[in-house]
Amino acid sequence: MANSEEIIPSYWYNIIPDLPKPLPPPRDPPDAEFSRIDLLRKIMPSEVLRQQFTVERFVSIPREVREAYINIGRPTPLVRAKRLEEFLNTPAKIYFKYEGATPTGSHKINTALPQAYFSMKEGVDHLVTETGAGQWGTAVALSARMYGLNSTIFMVKVSYEQKPQRRTIMQLYGAQVFASPTSHTEYGKKVLNENPNHPGSLGIAMSEAIEYALSNGYKYLVGSVLDVVVLHQSVIGLEAMKQLQELDEEPDVLVGCVGGGSNFGGFAFPFIGSKKGSKYIAVGSYEIPKFSKGAYNYDFPDSAGLLPLVKMITLGRDYVPPPIYSGGLRYHGAAPSLSMLIKEGIVDWREYNEKEIFEAAQIFLQTQGIVPAPESSHAIRAVIEEAREAKIKNEKKVIVFNLSGHGLLDLPNYESMMKRIG
Amino acid sequence: MLVSYATLGYPNREDYLRLVKGLVEAGSDILEIGLLPKYAKYDGPVIRRSYKQVSTWLTDFWSLLEETRRAVDVPLVILTYLEDWVSSLSQVLAKMKEVGIDGVLFPDLLIDFVDEYEKYVNEIKSHGLSAVIFTSPSVPDPLIHKVSRLSDMFLYYGVRPTTGVPLPVSVDSLITRVRTLVNNKLVVGFGLSDIEDMKKALKAGADGVAIGTVYIEEIERNGVESAISLARKFRGILDGA
Ligand SMILES: Cc1ncc(COP(=O)(O)O)c(C=O)c1O
Repeated sequence: MANSEEIIPSYWYNIIPDLPKPLPPPRDPPDAEFSRIDLLRKIMPSEVLRQQFTVERFVSIPREVREAYINIGRPTPLVRAKRLEEFLNTPAKIYFKYEGATPTGSHKINTALPQAYFSMKEGVDHLVTETGAGQWGTAVALSARMYGLNSTIFMVKVSYEQKPQRRTIMQLYGAQVFASPTSHTEYGKKVLNENPNHPGSLGIAMSEAIEYALSNGYKYLVGSVLDVVVLHQSVIGLEAMKQLQELDEEPDVLVGCVGGGSNFGGFAFPFIGSKKGSKYIAVGSYEIPKFSKGAYNYDFPDSAGLLPLVKMITLGRDYVPPPIYSGGLRYHGAAPSLSMLIKEGIVDWREYNEKEIFEAAQIFLQTQGIVPAPESSHAIRAVIEEAREAKIKNEKKVIVFNLSGHGLLDLPNYESMMKRIG
Repeated sequence: MLVSYATLGYPNREDYLRLVKGLVEAGSDILEIGLLPKYAKYDGPVIRRSYKQVSTWLTDFWSLLEETRRAVDVPLVILTYLEDWVSSLSQVLAKMKEVGIDGVLFPDLLIDFVDEYEKYVNEIKSHGLSAVIFTSPSVPDPLIHKVSRLSDMFLYYGVRPTTGVPLPVSVDSLITRVRTLVNNKLVVGFGLSDIEDMKKALKAGADGVAIGTVYIEEIERNGVESAISLARKFRGILDGA
């Protein structure tokens, strides 16, 4: 058994050089009055930006970041879901990588830490970001604090109202938290003008955070979608690969949920890159049908159109996601690298509705005891279906999924799902 | 190898012709001439500004290309988006050959036409033109390796996702890596922003550099002569390297 520190990789994995086709580069819209690509330079810490455009297959993790990973409890456990297997009476083996075991309860801290670290190294003193479910904001609030920086978080209004505990944690970590759309930015004012009761969306909050960072000279941290985030998240998959090796297991099926694509990519890409596994399943929400109804187009990652266009699977930047309880999945697009892998048929996708994921969450928490984040329950649903199929076909396959977060702060959401769905 | 870029017709007819002559006299080995595109998808703000200016007056670009040909004797490579020509490619390539153009570079070939790039490369070559292939860090290694042998004159490697925005990239490590994949002359450009970048690129194994945005910025600030002096300086660096 390797000691736990040996399980944490010393480099991140970047899938871009291993993609089947060139990744279409980010670009400025026609007749742009300003360059969005140039804007990135003003809002992102420069090392983060360098990593965004790096195409080295392996990017070394600074020693200080590796130590921070250890400090937050990495490596996270890889657990065999024995009771779930028994419940499903399946010949398949099921493992999950438990990202809920970090202090902030999800995978988001894996990229917040390095981004905050690089900011600190560059002399930045204030970080800004948006958050949907609250997971990303929590991760940024803690990471900022760990490096002695201030933070301001634009939280999507529905989540701000549904998840007051998340807001409290961020505030305990020392962050300033706003319910977006706000009147602190021009974009927020415009949205409120059109609809004072706008529930907000990740796209709007993102636009507000960028504008706020820009007008105050702060740095903006990106929580998903961009390649650099997927790069940092690869710590999940790289650890899981080692942990499986130690157990002498060869994975067959790898599963994760998709909001912007970072936990899925971070978990599955190292396996795809080293040709381990034969089936990769990205799971989205039925209510936000980007995989089934989205187009593969150049689109803005943010609804205000402040970031460069990227080619991705998207429902359109003006799409307003319905207020489902998986706040982290309320996003119109998916990471460009993931979008390409889906289009090329290398990654499969599924979409499940709230009823389906609620059932899955119940099965999981009653067998394994962990209350999964509603986002992660999408992955669980796909795992259950794979395991049931294995039973019908009598296949002894090994299914591994990423449990991206716990749901202990989503209990009000579960309560209302219980009432509606029962 | 010094590959110098000029936007056809920028900043105006006369100065443009002075510029291309001057760039060659200053020691450019190859001239890359950019045609005004419908949508400058992969160009940065500086080159977009040059297109915008040209779009206000240039209508007959063929005659200006002919004049360019008469003005200089180094190989001329046309930089133009394939997207603008897909429906009339054969005629356009024939016409280019007729006016004495030597090669064609489509920056969008491996991005928007990657499934059919071989067809287009063959089409260029069948007109007796050189096909110069544009690659970038987001092109997967096996594909870079494959196209490096197909590319005529040299393989163009653009280090940044757009021209002329000095995004922080590690020029040296990018080139060190791509060098091992390329058995052809390797010319690095697309956002080389300063002398430091240039030196790094050469040291890391590039056979040449392609310069564009800095000339245009220099023309905006100080005029054509000053851009030509820059080319002389770059030539010096190449010869000293
Ligand atoms: C627990 C959890 N899982 C998944 C996601 C979706 O994001 P991504 O697709 O970037 O991993 C989120 C986003 O907030 C989340 O909090």
